[in-house]
Amino acid sequence: MVNSLFEEKLDSDEFLITTEIGPPKGIDVSEMLDLIETLKDRVDAINVTDNQSSVMRYPSLGGCLLVKEHGGEPILQMTCRDRNRLALQADLLFAYSRGIVNVLCLTGDSVEAGDHKEAKPVFDADSIQLLKMIQTLESGRDAGGNELKGIPRFCKGATVNPEADIIEPQLIKFDKKVEAGASFFQTQGIFDIAALKRFMQYATRFKVKILAGIIVLSSARMARFMNENVPGIIVPQSIIDELSSVEKGKGLKKGIEIAIRTIRAIREEKICSGVHIMAIGNEHVVPEIIEAVKIPSSL
Amino acid sequence: MTLDVTSIESQNNSAILDRSLMPPCQAACPLHMNIREYVDLVARGKVMEALQVIRSDNPFPSVCAYICSHPCEEACRRSHVDKQIAIRALKRFAVEFGGDRKVRTEARTIFTEKTAIIGSGPAGMSCAFYLRKLGYPVTVFEAHTEIGGMLRFGIPQYRLPREVLDSEIRRMTGMGIEFRTGTPVVSLDLLFEMGYQAIFVSIGAQQSRRLGVEGEDKPGVVDAITFLREINLGLKPAIGENVVVIGGGNVAIDASRSALRLGARTVNLVCLESRAEMPAFAADIQYAIEEGVIVNCSWGVKAILGKEVITGIELKRCVSVFDANGKFNPSFDDSITQILPADTVITAIGQIPQIPESYGLKTSRGTILVDPVTLNTNRKGVFAGGDAASGPATVIQALANGRLAAIRIDDYLHHRYPRSLENENKSPLGELSPQTIQAIRKISRYEPPLAPPEIRIKEFQPIEQVYNWETAVDEARRCLRCGSGAEILFPDKCATCLTCLRVCPYSVPRIDQDFNIQIPPDQCQACGICVTRCPAMAIALRKPWDRRHINEEIERFRHRIKITQSRPLIIGFCCQYGLFGTGKLAGILKTAGEGIWIIPIMCIAKVETYHLLQAFELGAEGVFVAGCGEQCARENTIAEAKAQIQKAQSVLVEIGLKIDQLQAFLPEAKNDNRSGDPEKWLEEFAGYIGSLHLNSLLAAEGKN
Amino acid sequence: MIIANQKPSNEIWKMIQPYQRVLIVGCGTCMTVCGSGGEREVNFLHNALRLMELKLNQSAHTFSEFTIKRQCETEFIEMLTEKINYVDAVLSLGCGIGTQAIAERFDNLPVLPGVNTSIIGMGTTQGVWLERCVACGECILDETAGICPVARCAKGILNGPCGGSKHGKCESNKEMDCAWILIYKRLEKLGQLDKMRKYYPMRNFQTIPRPRRLIKSVTGGNTDGQLSL
Repeated sequence: MVNSLFEEKLDSDEFLITTEIGPPKGIDVSEMLDLIETLKDRVDAINVTDNQSSVMRYPSLGGCLLVKEHGGEPILQMTCRDRNRLALQADLLFAYSRGIVNVLCLTGDSVEAGDHKEAKPVFDADSIQLLKMIQTLESGRDAGGNELKGIPRFCKGATVNPEADIIEPQLIKFDKKVEAGASFFQTQGIFDIAALKRFMQYATRFKVKILAGIIVLSSARMARFMNENVPGIIVPQSIIDELSSVEKGKGLKKGIEIAIRTIRAIREEKICSGVHIMAIGNEHVVPEIIEAVKIPSSL
Repeated sequence: MTLDVTSIESQNNSAILDRSLMPPCQAACPLHMNIREYVDLVARGKVMEALQVIRSDNPFPSVCAYICSHPCEEACRRSHVDKQIAIRALKRFAVEFGGDRKVRTEARTIFTEKTAIIGSGPAGMSCAFYLRKLGYPVTVFEAHTEIGGMLRFGIPQYRLPREVLDSEIRRMTGMGIEFRTGTPVVSLDLLFEMGYQAIFVSIGAQQSRRLGVEGEDKPGVVDAITFLREINLGLKPAIGENVVVIGGGNVAIDASRSALRLGARTVNLVCLESRAEMPAFAADIQYAIEEGVIVNCSWGVKAILGKEVITGIELKRCVSVFDANGKFNPSFDDSITQILPADTVITAIGQIPQIPESYGLKTSRGTILVDPVTLNTNRKGVFAGGDAASGPATVIQALANGRLAAIRIDDYLHHRYPRSLENENKSPLGELSPQTIQAIRKISRYEPPLAPPEIRIKEFQPIEQVYNWETAVDEARRCLRCGSGAEILFPDKCATCLTCLRVCPYSVPRIDQDFNIQIPPDQCQACGICVTRCPAMAIALRKPWDRRHINEEIERFRHRIKITQSRPLIIGFCCQYGLFGTGKLAGILKTAGEGIWIIPIMCIAKVETYHLLQAFELGAEGVFVAGCGEQCARENTIAEAKAQIQKAQSVLVEIGLKIDQLQAFLPEAKNDNRSGDPEKWLEEFAGYIGSLHLNSLLAAEGKN
Repeated sequence: MIIANQKPSNEIWKMIQPYQRVLIVGCGTCMTVCGSGGEREVNFLHNALRLMELKLNQSAHTFSEFTIKRQCETEFIEMLTEKINYVDAVLSLGCGIGTQAIAERFDNLPVLPGVNTSIIGMGTTQGVWLERCVACGECILDETAGICPVARCAKGILNGPCGGSKHGKCESNKEMDCAWILIYKRLEKLGQLDKMRKYYPMRNFQTIPRPRRLIKSVTGGNTDGQLSL
């Protein structure tokens, strides 16, 4: 039986910090390896994204293997866009065999967003069906009802969007995901603490752990771009204004400042169980942020 | 400079192609004239063709053009939109500008049976005309020295000028009709002995009714018929200063207005009827009042006052004219009276026929008794019609009656069972719905130009002037073309796609309870948009002024190209309504030279994409569509034409032609100075196409 | 209604090049309604091709045209039998079904597609059709307040909305409403939000291996059909 260090941490009351790495478009993984080295001891787990934004890249499974091999705790991101239930289950069996047992279940961005616009979108399952599929594997059967030779066990997670403009459908889905076995949630980018608080009021009825997503912005233009093009992310005007107020070149610094501020608030007010820092393209600043929000503790 | 404007009026619309329904104007006309057709021809500027259509159903177009009572106008459905089409005035335009006076009618004698007509009034003359056309020898016996009956003696010259009537009569003598004037007929047997085998008695109703009041026989009292006859004979009857005319009909109005023109100071018209009940034409009553006649309604005559000369007339209030059964039975209130000063009294209270006993004809209530179908009297071979059989009626009714009599006499002489004729007075078209009325563009009626009243009463000149070209065409374009609209000619092709329903500017097509599309013929405005849009090509116009006629024109061009080995440089699809009417597009005809071939179309909404492609296929380097633009009497036509053009242009691009080789010329509103000058535009277009043509020739040379 | 778009004329032009006598066949049902292959479009294409022929200085092709009521019925296709003898290829303006039906019947003759069959569409205003059904074979409209997530959700998921739904619009097409937000709103209106709280398992894609076949027996009473392989 493989244990998940991350799961152990989830069971504790620690304030958790996770982050994510995006693999390269190609076979040269040297940069990724550098990042793994930098981050593996500073965070509780590292997500490796899976063809994020429908851009073809080195797979999450491969990245997680590298994380594991270099001593870090990986979280496998699995989207339903590119694989049918056969492939999903097969990949999960392989992941377990290599000690990769933390899985974040996502439906996946639509093909239009990426760089292979004519590809066939699979969506044999959605995120909730994937969670259930894993549950089924854990019961010793595959999704076709056939007995497994050797039973895996995973630490399952999913996403949620506390700042969605129409919140009730998100809450309905959240319920279903919990029902389907998710034990941790990494949220979409949080900019509005009050919204997070409201969501947490709802979420505390469940025993799941919520990690607030923190996006490190680098400029007002990036913020606006994300609003227009990135699914599920809404950067409020006040943040955009804050970013516009600094001179050129200082945007990233401001972004870091906003991130730190947000994490501090969450930590001090004990709003949720931790944060998930997303600094795609600027992963090198993550250590700085973590350093800034550290409360002297055993990290 | 040669112009090629092909006319297809000479082609007969075979019964298969023409599925149009009888419009209300035609149904109401006693002669069932093809009014829709000739009004449309006027709208396209084709006056001579219009006149031809008129002549084919009317023996005396000129006369009717002046004085017809136009029951067609009363039935015209345009009156529910704004005002009825001025049909009579348009007929007058066609008659005058089409040169009716110069038209000669030919007739040959085919049969030997001689026919006699007694009385040369409208009924008699109409009968004579048609019998002669059928090929019979015809003799008209007229007691008077002059020909015409009521037309000459009963109608004042300001309504029907002498020359007009004379020209009609000249035409009839030209046809070979024999007139014997100054020849009263006393015995029908004599006529039979003379060899006539059929006789038409149309002696009219010339005897005025008497008032039956005291003083009626005094000097100064004259009956209207005598009065009007004397005027028309050129004698100026003496009248005083204060004339009183008794009667509410047309004769009374004519007498009143004639009296004014003779110089009477005051003319009072007195009648039993209320204003609404007066049988005279409403327009004429209005003219009379404008000219100064004082109309006193709901008065009866008590007595004519005065000893040797008349001094006045005493009137009593008429309470009602018709009784509970609708019969003429006036009742009076003797307590209410008034006296009008008068030195002349003219009576016009109705006429009755004077039927000689020697004819031996049965009468009923004063008129000759005739069989309604065969127009036979009780004597074999003797027919009767006109006022003598019906009592006083309108001229047009008399003309229709005369025509019917000719047909019946023909049946009789050939021992044929009386032919059945089309249903009389039936129009299958209902009323316009409020929805349709709302969508129809309102255009005020162009009233025929009338001289002002002060001028009118000075003399007996005709009061109404004829339209000019522009006004006539604009008035004619208001016609709704009732009954010639769209129908789903091929219901098996219809996929009920609802396109016609959605593109109709008048919301006419409906879904019936069987989920089929119905296009109610009484609402359709014949704009042709559904015809060009139907994806199954299942809809056609009842009158084939749609793609079928454009197909024929293109076919003719194909033929011409084959025969003459020449090619057009430019082909233009020109809306006929604008081509003449606005005058602007007429410039195109003027500018078009050799190499510019024109296809006349009945509104640009009828052009379909494939017509434009075929124009290029015929070899034209440039193609244009010209229409009347914003003046179009139908809605959405510009947008439709532009859509068809755009589709054709997409193909041009594929084959390497320039989009500009296909253009549209659609001017803005009439008096808009921004609107283009068609001549200049065509010059520029022709220049452009010419240079393209030159370049392509040079390129071909270069290749060799 | 099956909705298609006529192919651009230059594409059609290229397709017919190898064949001398081409019969253009139209369809009087769906293709007429969507204005892509009815008699009018056949007539237009015929004229366009002839004009192209002329302007490109060729006389290599002759065209003829004929529109039948429906190209998906054998009885109607039979009516082409005589004409087929005189042509080298058929250019069908029927949908993919019609084109294939003609090809199956006259299998010694090349049959070319003149339209691109696109969607099963619902008509709105004139000329605008919206895809509403993808013939999945397992209709669940009772669960989703009459709004189909398979057709209208870009990802076709059953436990929606996904995380990308923003301001009620779909992440992949901002003009498009997020189907699941529409479903949510309407379920709320009907007082049936519980339906959305249910877990919907993965779809049975077994109904979708190509080609599916539907056999219906029509007896005296109810018709019962079964979808089979």
